[in-house]
Order: sequence, then C-alpha cells, then structure tokens
Amino acid sequence: MMIELSITGTNAITFPHLEVWDWRIVFYLFLGGLSAGILVMCSIANLRIPKQPVEELAQCVRAPLIAFIVLAVGALFIILDLGSPLHLVWGYLTFQPLSLMSWGTWGVPAVLFANALYILAVIPKEQRHRLKLPLLIKLSEKLALRMRPIAKLNFALGIFLGIYTGVLLSSFAAIPLWNNATLPILFLVSALSSGAAMVVIIAKKAEIKFLFTKIDIWLIVAELVVIALFFYGLYTSTAPYKKAIAPFFSLTSEHFIFTLALIAIFLLLPLALRIKLGELKEFEDGLHAEFTKAQIFRMNFAAILVIAGTLILRAAIVYAGQLTKLSAY
Amino acid sequence: MPKYVMVIDVERCIGCMACVIACKKENGVADGYFRTRVVEEVRGEFPNLRMELRSELCNHCENAPCIDACPTRASHRAKDGTVQIDKKKCIGCKACILACPYDARYSTPEGVADKCTFCEHRLKEGRKPACVETCLGKSRIFGDLDDPNSEVSQLLKKHEATVRLEFAGTSPRVFYINKKFAGGL
Ligand code: SF4
Ligand code: SF4
Repeated sequence: MMIELSITGTNAITFPHLEVWDWRIVFYLFLGGLSAGILVMCSIANLRIPKQPVEELAQCVRAPLIAFIVLAVGALFIILDLGSPLHLVWGYLTFQPLSLMSWGTWGVPAVLFANALYILAVIPKEQRHRLKLPLLIKLSEKLALRMRPIAKLNFALGIFLGIYTGVLLSSFAAIPLWNNATLPILFLVSALSSGAAMVVIIAKKAEIKFLFTKIDIWLIVAELVVIALFFYGLYTSTAPYKKAIAPFFSLTSEHFIFTLALIAIFLLLPLALRIKLGELKEFEDGLHAEFTKAQIFRMNFAAILVIAGTLILRAAIVYAGQLTKLSAY
Repeated sequence: MPKYVMVIDVERCIGCMACVIACKKENGVADGYFRTRVVEEVRGEFPNLRMELRSELCNHCENAPCIDACPTRASHRAKDGTVQIDKKKCIGCKACILACPYDARYSTPEGVADKCTFCEHRLKEGRKPACVETCLGKSRIFGDLDDPNSEVSQLLKKHEATVRLEFAGTSPRVFYINKKFAGGL
C-alpha cells in the first residue's frame, strides 16, 4: 500500500526528524562520562590498600584534578547548549525527581564539590605550599585525614555521574533508540572504561598503569557485550524499536555514517583489547619499575583508542536516536 | 477543574489551513514556526485511494512526558488542566521537545520551548481557541468533557474516537473522529 504525506505547518527542528541536541550535548555526555570514569578509577586506586598511614595512601593524586577539569568543561558545553542559561536559577529553586535534567542540574555541581574535596585531600604534603592560601592549606591538611571516606564518596558519585546520562537518554519514551534499559549500563561501562584508559595515560607508577590495564580489559569486554545486547534487544522489539537501529546497518543510505561509526567502534575497542592483552603477557613474569618507550607508547595508544571509541559511541547514539520516532513520520 | 478537550472531526476538514494561520496570528508565532499543522495523508493503491486531512497539535496529555522531563517546572499543568510553559522559567534545555512523542514542541528564536496553549488567554475570557473559531468546516470542536451537555461530550458519546499513538500511554486530550479512514494517526 502506498502512503503519501504532505504536511502544512512543520517546524524545522522536529521535521523531518528531531534536530534538538547536537555536538555540544555529545561532548557533555562524553566529558561527563570520562570524568565519572576517572573519579571511580582513582578512588579504586586510593582505596585499594587498606592498612597504610593515610598520608601515604593516595596513589593517584593528579586524577581527581583532571576529573574536575574534564567535568567543568563538560558542564560548560551543556550551558552553551541552553537556549536561556540565565533562567538556570529556576532549576536551583526546585528539584523535580522525575526529570533527569533536574538530577543533572543538582548532580553535576555536587560531584564537582565532592571532587574538589578529593583534590585537596590527596595533595601530597610537600606540594601543599602550592595552594598559596593558608585557609586552603589548612583545609587540605584536615581533609587528608579523611581521604578514605572522601574517596568512597567520589566513587559513589562517579557511578552516579556515569550512569545518569544514560538514564537521561533512556527516559525519553518518544525516542525508540534511547528508550531501553541497556543504554544506562552501556554508558556506565564505557564511561568506566574511558576513565580507566585515562588513568593508564596519566599514571606515572608502573604498578598503577598495570592495575588499570587489567581493569580496562574487563571493562572493554563488558562494553562489547553490552553493545551487542543493546542492538539485539532493539532488533527483537516491536516495529519502532526495530526500525530505530536501521541507520547502523544501512550501507547505501545517507545514514552510512552510522554504519561507519559502528564499524569504528568494533575496530577500535577490540584492537585496544588486543594491545592490552599483549601487555598483560609481557608483564607476566613480574613488573619492572621502568617501562620502555615502546611499552609506554603502546599503553597510551590503546588507551586513546578506548577514549575515541567512547566518544564515537556517544555521538552515534545521540545523532541516530534523533532520527527515530514512535510515530510513522 | 474543567477537562478541556478538542475533538477533530477529520471528515469535515476541507484543508483550507485557516487554522494554521489563525493560530500564528493569534499567538504571534515567529516566522518559520507553527503550533498546529495539517497532515494530508493519502493511502491505498490506485484507483482505490483515500485521503485524510488531519489537524495535529499539542494533545495536552493527561500523562504528559514533557512535564516530567522539565527540570525547572516551566512545563506544568495549569489550573485549568491544560499543559502550559512558563517562559520565565524555561532554560531552553529542549528535554521536553525530545520527550513529546507528537513533535508538538519547538524552540523559539528567544531560546525557550513553545507549543499550543489551547489559547489559554482566550479560555480565560470564556472564548474558544482561535483555530476552533476560524474553522470553516467545523472540523475542530472544543469544550469541557466534564460537562455532559457540552458539544464535545455529546460527540464523544455518539462516535468512537481515537487518539494519536495511544500505546505511548500519554492519554491525549485531542480526539479524532473518522469512520472511513483505516490507518493514520
Ligand atoms: S502533546 Fe507533547 S507537548 Fe503536548 S502535552 Fe503531550 S507530550 Fe506534552
Ligand atoms: S526546554 Fe524549558 S520547558 Fe522544556 S524541559 Fe527545558 S526548561 Fe522545561
């Protein structure tokens, strides 16, 4: 049967498909996830050894600072996307439990605050003088004694930050590609994986690099499995959901870019996985305090592949999602 | 609280688009934007073709996902039961536009969300929405469903009506009557 539509009175922002969230949101989702992952991973590093004097406990000292900067830049991107950022004050005069946007409005500053405490708590003694302000130095001394609970708090908030963006997208029942429960898990796992990759890049200690290489192997495997489940779940669902994954599997249409994105993800992540498995083998006979240049290059390269995969994944899902609708047009 | 609904008798629409223009004029809708549209849908195999002219607008849903999505309560249910946007409070995050399964919303050039208000300002004066008042074929009918004597109550009692995307669970307050056209919506 033929169906022909002509519509008088359409808005360009919604027809022929939604063009509501663009690259700014992609960067926000990416940077938010990356920051979440870094926070969780450095908390793991700092909480790992239970019985050590608090002062020597912090293993990962630059990561919280990097997480803070990454999230602050991410938040800037979302503010850039707001049509009326000056009205934001209204967001802080209320909390709407059903609105994931509201969770973000309150959640991001809360994470930044806890993150700032973490930065102060892990500053090594000999570096504290760089804080300049006597008040901050004192605060840092005090917080250092509470490093463990602060790390635990940041771990929890990192998980919150990593999963909430996925829940945000999945809460839109009008957008079939997003509206499913696998998406928050996918976002969380890929955020954690990119965080682990980032810690591998910035860590100086051989022991920390190796620990997070091992962690990232599991996270990449989990991510690949969840991506497959994500597509399979939509494929076996009802018509609008089945249709939603079409852009990812069309070689001829204008949506070829999404197929490319999918291929890229499935190339980058397994490649990173292979490199990481290679590293694992190499260090089987015990860790050396020093890495060779080639080893460092390989680790960083695999980590960059993982981070690029995370960005591509988010961009593809944000854009392809907006091509999908519950209605027929 | 009244229960304002719109009934659209699809067979009475003559496709003059007066409603689309009346709405723009009444509400000062910016150039290039619309709060209501008319869909012309043709189905079938030649020569057995059937056309439906169908007005679409915000459904003032009873379970409105746009309200749930809003972080500032700019999107809210007004005292008269309709779904409204308080422009002072809107931060322009566009979450409501994504949340609406009916593509009823858009972003104004000022960066805030906007959509059909059922001509809230006219309802306050006891008048009908501009699109309803201007409708030549009397295809758009408006009234209070809680009043058993209202035209809409009578119509919905007499005819079987449908809503758009019923499975989405939003409980729209815009009802469509069309006896002959299978499909659509
Ligand atoms: S039609 Fe869309 S904008 Fe209108 S109330 Fe329903 S969900 Fe909200
Ligand atoms: S765009 Fe405005 S009305 Fe819509 S959800 Fe955001 S703040 Fe609320």
